[in-house]
Amino acid sequence: MTTIFSKACVVALTTAALGVTATAQAQDDCPLPSNLRVVIGSTSTGGDTYQASSIVVDQLADKLDINAKVDAVGVMGAFRALERDRRGNTIMVFHDGSYLGNLYGVNGYPDIFENYTVGPTFAINPGNAYLVPKGSDYQTMDDIIEAAGNGERVRVAIQPGGVSELGFSALKNAVRLEHPGQEDNIVAVNTGSQADKNQLLFDGAVDVINGSVQANEQYTNLPEDDQKSMRFIWLTSPEETIAQTNEEGMGDTTREQLLQYAGVDIPMSADADESFTFDKEFFFLYNKDMDQAAVDCIDNALADVFEEDEVNEQLKRAFFVPDFKPSAEAVESIKQKNDEYEGIIGNLQG
Amino acid sequence: MDILSHLTPLFFGLIAAGTLVGIIFGAIPGMTATMAVAVCLPLTYAFGLENGVALLLGLYVGGISGGMVPAVLLNIPGTPSSITTTFDGYPMAQRGEGERALKTGIVASIFGGLFSAAVLFFFAPILADFAIKFSNVEKFLIILLALTVIASLCSNLLMGIFSGVLGVWLSLIGTYSIMDGGNGETRLMFDWMEYYLIDGFSLLPVLIGIFGLTTVLLDAEKSFKDEANQGRISLKNGKKFSFSVFKGQFLNLVRSSSIGTFVGMLPGVGGSAASVLAYSQEKNFSRDSSQMGKGAPQGIVSSESSNNALTGGALVPLLSLGIPGDSTTAILIGAFTLQGIQVGPLFIGNNMDTWYLIIIGLLVANLLMFAIMYLAIKPIAKVIEVPKYILYPLIIMMCVVGAYAINYGIMFDVWTLLLFGVFGWIAHKIGLETVPLIIGFILGKSAEIYFVKSLESYGNYSIFFTKSPIAMLLWALIAMSLAFAIYINIRNRRHASMQS
Repeated sequence: MTTIFSKACVVALTTAALGVTATAQAQDDCPLPSNLRVVIGSTSTGGDTYQASSIVVDQLADKLDINAKVDAVGVMGAFRALERDRRGNTIMVFHDGSYLGNLYGVNGYPDIFENYTVGPTFAINPGNAYLVPKGSDYQTMDDIIEAAGNGERVRVAIQPGGVSELGFSALKNAVRLEHPGQEDNIVAVNTGSQADKNQLLFDGAVDVINGSVQANEQYTNLPEDDQKSMRFIWLTSPEETIAQTNEEGMGDTTREQLLQYAGVDIPMSADADESFTFDKEFFFLYNKDMDQAAVDCIDNALADVFEEDEVNEQLKRAFFVPDFKPSAEAVESIKQKNDEYEGIIGNLQG
Repeated sequence: MDILSHLTPLFFGLIAAGTLVGIIFGAIPGMTATMAVAVCLPLTYAFGLENGVALLLGLYVGGISGGMVPAVLLNIPGTPSSITTTFDGYPMAQRGEGERALKTGIVASIFGGLFSAAVLFFFAPILADFAIKFSNVEKFLIILLALTVIASLCSNLLMGIFSGVLGVWLSLIGTYSIMDGGNGETRLMFDWMEYYLIDGFSLLPVLIGIFGLTTVLLDAEKSFKDEANQGRISLKNGKKFSFSVFKGQFLNLVRSSSIGTFVGMLPGVGGSAASVLAYSQEKNFSRDSSQMGKGAPQGIVSSESSNNALTGGALVPLLSLGIPGDSTTAILIGAFTLQGIQVGPLFIGNNMDTWYLIIIGLLVANLLMFAIMYLAIKPIAKVIEVPKYILYPLIIMMCVVGAYAINYGIMFDVWTLLLFGVFGWIAHKIGLETVPLIIGFILGKSAEIYFVKSLESYGNYSIFFTKSPIAMLLWALIAMSLAFAIYINIRNRRHASMQS
């Protein structure tokens, strides 16, 4: 009995030792800390950034066998936390707002391509939307462009300096192209949260609001005589992106129904035949001095994670489109978007 | 019914654990209900929606209630909404009536909590429809009404108003953030301060500094141990708690709970405005408010019933519109989105079981909060008997830890705490009134946002007077509140001069 017990102890200790060695080996290959802090550029835990980050960071942590926690510290807090940490203990997740803020000249938004390392993309929120009251006269975006062209003031509730303003700029640019000199009839009403934008629509203080499929879909199912009822008028994602979402769509609105609001023709320039589209894409950002081996490690781990069904299904269930691109590919793609939208913003400013 | 299958020991255990942890978070200066919910949010992913929400509701109710403990015993509001609890709670504790003050607060808290839970259950969709009648204009006027409390609370009207305006000015340091629809440009600072002050001074370090650290500094002036010991408080000196303290307080309880529930329903107005409004209405409209601010239980009743009523109130727009009513419910909504549940105007109808479980969770959390705090309060109240030369270093340590933690490890928040501690001490010496100053600081930023948004939306100043009948009613209340405060001030001065 004693012999069996001794052998069992030896086996257990050997196994434990091997386990420790294996873990240490994994950490040697991947110079990431065992406790990783992921800061996000939003203070909301109810928003898409927190939701997408939580799903992917959980899977990443499992794959790397580390602890990771998502902290909703907001954009300024996140940039500052990233600047302070060169060892890779803190990394950031945000979306296109990170470079749009800089393009719009918002104070405190650095050039992410110069000041940080752009990491892999991992998801698209295809739900960036514009809505009108259900009883509005505007049935399509063309109606809005025409109305503005005919001298009618169209008030749009947005949060300035980011994703929310980009669609507004594109709309204003479209009016400029089709009805030169009339673009000032598209008027921004600057506000903050989604609740604030909704409230402006309820008050009749604006004609159009920026919103999202996730946050506003239930309002679109209310009867027209309800003060809160709304109607989608434009989804900025291209039809190809919407087509990758779940067939059931979101809530009571199917993918098929959502598709009719995508692919709206919002011209980008007079000489090109291209329409404006925008996918809100989530990606990692690192301190510029972070070890390249750590960057590669996250790339490789995410590649493994996205090869499995679990994360893809989780993202799709939450109405995201899985969109993994490793760092090198991601930086190219994000830079290309940056340059494209810089043109639209530049046209309106100058 | 399917709902019964969710009422498991785990469900109730999580509410109990959440309530206890929430009380502890609320009781530590610098730690708040919001922080407790944020820290535990990722856990809900593993527990599932119903059990996860049970945990978070316990944390929410416990966190709001726990804030009264340091407010009464140490003059430090555990949460911003317990600021008005310090006005009467701390003087009572100084008279050796800490236990009485805390028990009064606990009973008022459970009344407010259950009142708002009942309102949530019976009237949520109707009230949500009413809440959206409050545009930026009406929200600005509510904050203005809450600011009129400055006139009621100051001993010298002119100095009080000056202090209040100074508080508003301090709140505007930083930026009008683009997240609130502003331009994101820094103001009221030099360029080298931008790194630290781009988001302005954080509320809690300022609050803890001006209330807690200033009290410590003022007492520390006595310097010698023997002298400090002369001020030791014995719990045997004061009156004991009995439910007779609530005699004549029913109207106060109902009015304050209604104010708390209502303000909770208005997204963006903030919990501190609720307790400040309830306190000022009790001061202005009760038969005898002469002892308020000097240790009157009625002040604690109004403050605690209103801040606990926020819990149900803030859930009204969350569950009926998908719009969080306050900062804590803004995190709570994460529990739903993490589980892939849409919260919007159809939520209640589409998720009846979850809706009933939330109501049950809220009721149980309030009952457990009452049981835990009522039983634990006797030993907790003995904190006041600890000699100050032992207690104060511990308080400073807790304040520093809390300030450092509030924004996930920003050292500047600790410097803010120390800066405002010293500022509070200087303010005391030169006669500035710190209570109006802090109320101005708490409400100033929201007032600016809603004022600017109103002008941006409607384009002229007359809208503040003509927007709606609600706006006109609010102006009438503001005028009445101011007139009454001025009348009381003049009467008190006459009374004082006659006595002298």
